[in-house]
Amino acid sequence: MLRIEGLSAGYSAKPVLNDVSIDVGAGQFVAIVGPNGAGKTTLFKTISGIVKPSGGAITFDGVDLLAVPPPQRAHLGIAHVPEGRQVFPSLSVMENLEMGAMTESGRRDWQATIERIFDWLPVLKERRNQFAGTMSGGQQQMLAIGRGLASSPKLLMLDEPSMGLAPSTADFIFERLIEIRRQSGLTMLLVEQRVAEALESADRGYVLEAGHVVLEGNNATLRADDRVRKAYLGM
Amino acid sequence: MEGFLQALAAGLLIGAVYGLMCVGLGLIFGVMRVINFAHGDFMMLGMYTAFYLFTAAGVQALFGNTVGPFVAILLAGPVLALFGYFVHLALISHVSGTRTASLEGEGHYAQLILTLGIALILQNGGLIVFGSVLASIRTPLSSSAWELGPLFEMSIFLNKARSIDAVVSLAIMVLLSLLITRTRIGKSLRAAADNPTAATYMGIDVDRAHRTAFALGCGITAIAGGLLATNYPFHPFVGLEYVIVMYAGVVLGGMGSIIGAFWGGMTIGLVQQMSTLILPTQLQNAAIFAVFLLIIFFRPQGFFGRMVERT
Repeated sequence: MLRIEGLSAGYSAKPVLNDVSIDVGAGQFVAIVGPNGAGKTTLFKTISGIVKPSGGAITFDGVDLLAVPPPQRAHLGIAHVPEGRQVFPSLSVMENLEMGAMTESGRRDWQATIERIFDWLPVLKERRNQFAGTMSGGQQQMLAIGRGLASSPKLLMLDEPSMGLAPSTADFIFERLIEIRRQSGLTMLLVEQRVAEALESADRGYVLEAGHVVLEGNNATLRADDRVRKAYLGM
Repeated sequence: MEGFLQALAAGLLIGAVYGLMCVGLGLIFGVMRVINFAHGDFMMLGMYTAFYLFTAAGVQALFGNTVGPFVAILLAGPVLALFGYFVHLALISHVSGTRTASLEGEGHYAQLILTLGIALILQNGGLIVFGSVLASIRTPLSSSAWELGPLFEMSIFLNKARSIDAVVSLAIMVLLSLLITRTRIGKSLRAAADNPTAATYMGIDVDRAHRTAFALGCGITAIAGGLLATNYPFHPFVGLEYVIVMYAGVVLGGMGSIIGAFWGGMTIGLVQQMSTLILPTQLQNAAIFAVFLLIIFFRPQGFFGRMVERT
C-alpha cells in the first residue's frame, strides 16, 4: 500500500534520511523503531509533505505521492497522528474530530465512524464539548488518534503515541491501538521509542539509525536479533 | 448625568463600528499571524469604493439618498474582499503561510516590509487617483437624530446614521461569529490558526485558508470604513489615523482572539467618547492610549488572550 524507495530528505543542507526504503502492505501493522534523532519523524513529515525529499520515491496505493500537494495527501487516505499530539487547542473535542473528517471519505462515513471512535475511546465522548487544550496529555493523545481515525483512512500513521505520557497511560493507549486494529483491520505505520511494545504488537519492523534502515524483518526475526536485543530490549 | 448618558450612547454606537473595524484586522492576525500595516489603507480603499459606488455607479440613483449609502457600503465589502484575495495571491502568500519555513524569522521581516510597501503604494496611489480633497458619504441621516426619552426629565439623542452604522456592525459581527463557530470553513480557519502543520495533515489547504481570512478581513474592515465615512470625512491618508486604533483594539482584545478584537474596538470607542466629558477633544486619542496602557499593565494578554503558548 505504501512503498518508500531510496528516500533521502533533510532540512536545508543537512541530510536526515539516507536511502530509506520501507514497504507497508495492505492490512499490515509496521513499526519503525530507533533512537532519538534517527529520522523517524522526518520520515513521517516527508510522507505528509511537510518536508521535501531530495531523492527517492513514495507511492501510495499506486499513486506517486511526491506529485500530490501536501494538503491533498490526507484526501488519498493517509492519516497522520503527529508527534506531540498537536491537537487544535482552541477547538472542542468534537470540532477536532470534525477536522479529522475534512476528507471526502471522512465526511461520507462520519456517522458510523464517530460512533466507533466513541466506542473505542469513550473519554472523547464524555469530553466532547471540552476545549482540547484543557485536556491531559493522555486524553489529547487519544483525541489525536480519534482525529486520525475520523478521516476513515486507508493508512494510519502514528508518530510516538507514547511520548511524554505516564507508563500506565502509554500502556493503555497501546492496548487501545491493538484493539482498534483487531476490530478494523486498518493498516498502521507506527514510529515508537518503546521498542519492546512496538515490536511485540507489529507484524513487521524496521530499525532506523542515523537516517539509515539498519535492520528490517518480521516481528520474530527482529526480536531474536542480537543487536536489537542488546540495544533496545535491554537483554 | 444627561451628559454622561449621552457620551455613553455615543461611545457604544461608535464602539460597535470600531469593533467591526478591529475584527477585520484581528481575523487576519489571528489566522495568519501576519501583521498587516496596510490594513488602514485597505479601509481607505473601502471608503472610496463605497463613495464611488454611491455617487458614480448608480447606487444613489437606484436606492436614493437615505438607503443608497448603506447599500454602497455593504457592496464595498465584497469588492475589497476580492481585492484582498488577489493581493494575498500575488504578494502576501509569498512571504506567509507554508512558505515561511524557508524564510528568515518565519517571514515576519519580509511581511513587515511588504505590508508597509503596500501601504505606501495605496496611500500615494490614492492621492493620485482620488486627489487630496476631503470626501464623505453624507446621508440626510447623518445630520438628524432620534430622541430617546424624555425619561426622568432626561433625553438622549442618537444620531440616525451612527445608530444604523452600529446596527449594521452588530449584524455583520453576528454573521461572522456564526461563520467562524458553526461552519466547516470557519472551523477550518480556526484549525489553521491553531496549528497550520496539523491542519495540513487533516487535508486543510492552509494557504487557501489564509487567503479566505485575508479576503474576509479586508471586506469587513472596508464595510466598517464605509460606515465611519457616513460621519467622518476621509482622504487618501486616513488609514494612518485608524490603523493605530485597529492595532490598539486587537491588542486590547487579546492577540489572536476574533471576538476579543470586537470588544477591544468597543472599549476604544467608549473611552474616546467618554473622555470628552472631562478632557478637551484634542486629547481624545491621548485618553485612548492612557487607558490602553492601563489595561495592558494589569492584563497583558488582553481581554480574551490566552497566556498558554500555542503548541
